[in-house]
Amino acid sequence: MEIEASASEDTGREGLLPSAPVCEAGKKAGALIVGVAAANAFNEYVPEGHRPEDILPGAQSVVVAGNQGPTAAAWRSPDHRVMEITGYDFRENVAVHVMCDFIEREYGYNALQAPSLPTAGHHPPMSMMLAAVLAGLGTRSLAANIILHPEYGLLYYAALVTTLPLEPNHVLQKDACPSPSCVQMYEKLGTTPCLASCPKDEGGCLEGEIDEDGRISYSSYNRERCHSRSMNFGVGSVQKSLVDIVAEEDQDRRKSMIYSDFFSQSLSSLSFYKESVAQCFECMRVCPVGQNHKRLK
Amino acid sequence: MSEPEAELDFELAKQQLTEFSARGGALVSGVADVDDFAAAPEGFRPQDLLPGAKRVFVVGGSPPRAGDWVSPKHEHQETMGTSDRINSLGLKAAKFIEASFGYYALFVPPGVNKGNQPFLSVALAAELAGCASPSLAGPLLHPKHGMLYYSAIVTTCPLPIDGRAEPACPAPACLDMWEAEGTTPCMKVCPIDDGGCLGGDIVEGRFANRRYNTARCATRVHTHWVPGFQKGLEAALDEEDPEKRKMILYSSFFTRTLWSMTYASQSQAQCYECMRVCPVGAEERTLR
Amino acid sequence: MSFFFVEPEIYKKYKDEVIALSDSVQVNFQEHLPPEKRRRGHSDREIAEKLGLDERTVREIRVVAERDTYDLEEWEKAIEFKDKACRAFARHGISYVFKYRDELK
Repeated sequence: MEIEASASEDTGREGLLPSAPVCEAGKKAGALIVGVAAANAFNEYVPEGHRPEDILPGAQSVVVAGNQGPTAAAWRSPDHRVMEITGYDFRENVAVHVMCDFIEREYGYNALQAPSLPTAGHHPPMSMMLAAVLAGLGTRSLAANIILHPEYGLLYYAALVTTLPLEPNHVLQKDACPSPSCVQMYEKLGTTPCLASCPKDEGGCLEGEIDEDGRISYSSYNRERCHSRSMNFGVGSVQKSLVDIVAEEDQDRRKSMIYSDFFSQSLSSLSFYKESVAQCFECMRVCPVGQNHKRLK
Repeated sequence: MSEPEAELDFELAKQQLTEFSARGGALVSGVADVDDFAAAPEGFRPQDLLPGAKRVFVVGGSPPRAGDWVSPKHEHQETMGTSDRINSLGLKAAKFIEASFGYYALFVPPGVNKGNQPFLSVALAAELAGCASPSLAGPLLHPKHGMLYYSAIVTTCPLPIDGRAEPACPAPACLDMWEAEGTTPCMKVCPIDDGGCLGGDIVEGRFANRRYNTARCATRVHTHWVPGFQKGLEAALDEEDPEKRKMILYSSFFTRTLWSMTYASQSQAQCYECMRVCPVGAEERTLR
Repeated sequence: MSFFFVEPEIYKKYKDEVIALSDSVQVNFQEHLPPEKRRRGHSDREIAEKLGLDERTVREIRVVAERDTYDLEEWEKAIEFKDKACRAFARHGISYVFKYRDELK
C-alpha cells in the first residue's frame, strides 16, 4: 500500500501515515469509534514496564477501538444481576484483531493486540483506559476514573500496538466529565450523581471536587472496595472463599460453604468472565454523559 | 436437513469448501481419509465421533502475528490468544458442509475429554490432510507459514483426499546447525538434558530419536492454567499454618492461574520458545 | 523451590506501605491535572526500589494485599448495595441519588 507520509507537529515524529485506512478497517469490523495515540505519549503517564515500547520494541502508534457494552434496556433492568452475567460481543476486540491483520498485511509493519488482561494481581501489562484518553476518545471521570466519551459515555476499549507510524489524534480539549448538569449540581449540592451513588464517607468508593472552572480538581477512587462490587463474584471471591473453606474444620459446615450460593456463583462467574467482567454499574447508571443513547421507547 | 444430491460433484464441492475457508481466514486446508486414522487408538478416531464418517476436513491459520513474536514480554502471548478464530472458522465450515452439500459435518471440540485427552487429535488430522508436517519441536509446521492453529471437521461427505505434506522440519538452516553444533534452534533453547523438553537427532536429513518431556512442557505451556491451579490448591491444603495458607491462596501465582482458567478459551498456550526460534515460517514473522 | 509465597511476617511489615504506593487507592489520576498535582500508582519495580525489597517480593505483597484489604463481608454488602441502587434507579431514574436515598438504607 502506497500512502503519502507527513510529519506531526505534536510529537516531532516524521514520516507519519494517515490513520484513516486503519481506522476505517476497525469501524468496518464493528468498532463504534477508533482513535490513534503516539506510542511515546504514554511515557509521561505510566512507569517503565507498562509502556507500548515495553510490549513491542520500536512501537510508534497505539490504535484504540471503543464499543458499547450493555444495551439501553439492560441499563433499565431493576435486577442488577442482569448486566453482571449478560455477555457482550466485545466487537472492539474483533476490530483490533482485524486492524492488526490489516497493518501487517497491507503495510508490512508489526502489530499486536495490546495485552489488557491482568497478569499480576489487578495489573495488566498495559492500560486501555490511558490508551483511550491519549487517542482522543474520552477523558477520565470522577466515577472510578472510567473513561467517558463525550457522546456515548461509558465504552469498552481494546487497543493495538504497532511499529507503523500513524498520525495521532489529539487528546480531547474539552472534558467529558463533569457534564454541565453535574457542574450545576455540584455548585448547588456539593456532589454529583456518581459521587452521591457511591460516596467514600458512606462505605463507597468515590470522592471528588470540581473547581470554579468546572473541571475535576481532586478525585479519589478506592479500587479494592470497587473490586468487591464490580467483581463481586469471580477470581477474588473464589480466593476469599477458599481461605475460609480450607480453614473450616467442621465437615458439615465446610460442605455448606462449598455448596453455598455465594461460592457457586463465584465459580460460575469464572466461566462468565470471558463475556462479562463488570458486576457493578451504579456510578455509571446515574451518569448523565451518554444518557441520550440509553433512552428508548 | 436437505437430502444429499446423488450427483454431487465432490471435486467441485471441495473447491467450494476450500474457497469458503480461505475467505474466512484459513491459510491452509486439506482433506484426510478416516481410514488413515488407524494409528490413533480406538475411541479417538473420526468414526467414534460420527458414525459413517468418511473424511476429516482441516483448516489452519490464525497464528500469532509478527508483532506478537517480537514482543519481549512473554506474558503478552500468554494472555492474547489468536487460536479461537480458527475454531470459529471450523464451526462455520461444518455448517457450510451441511447446508451446501447435505452431508453430516461434526466440528471436533477443541477442548479435552476424559483423561485430559482430546476427542480426536487435530494435529494428526492436519498431518493426514496434508496441511503440515510434524516437527522435532512438536507443533506441526507448514513450509511457508510455520506454526499454525488448526480446526478439524469430521464429515460423511466423501471429498477428494489430499496426501501427506513433504516434511518442513528440519529446515536447511537447522541441518547446517546440526552439522556445526550437533543441535538445532528448538533443542538448543529447550534442551531435554538441561532442564528442558526437547531432544533428538538428525539422521540423513530427517529428525529421528525424538525425545519429548511432556510433563515439563506442561509446566511451561500451562503454567497458570488448570495444572497450576491444582498445584496451588495442593500447596495450600498441605500448608498447616493458616497465615501461610492465605499467602498461597492470595498469591500472584494463584491469582493469575484463576484468571488464566477464566480466559482459557482465548489462550491456553503459555510457552512459545521452541517456535520462536524455528526458522520455518520465519519470513512470515519478520516485518518492519 | 516449592510454591513461592511471601512470609506472613514480611507481608505484615510492608503491606501498608506497598499498597499505599501502588494504585490501590487512586488519587488525582486525571490526565488534565497539572504534573505537580497529578499522581499515578508506582510499579512494583519502583516500589521495590523505594523500600529496598526485590520486585518479586513487592509484587507478591501487593497482590496478597489487594485481596486482603476487605473481608468477605464487604462482598456480601456489595450484593445488597447493588440490588437497592439498581431497583431505586429503575423506579426513580438518576434523581434517586438525591431525593430517594432513604431507599438505599
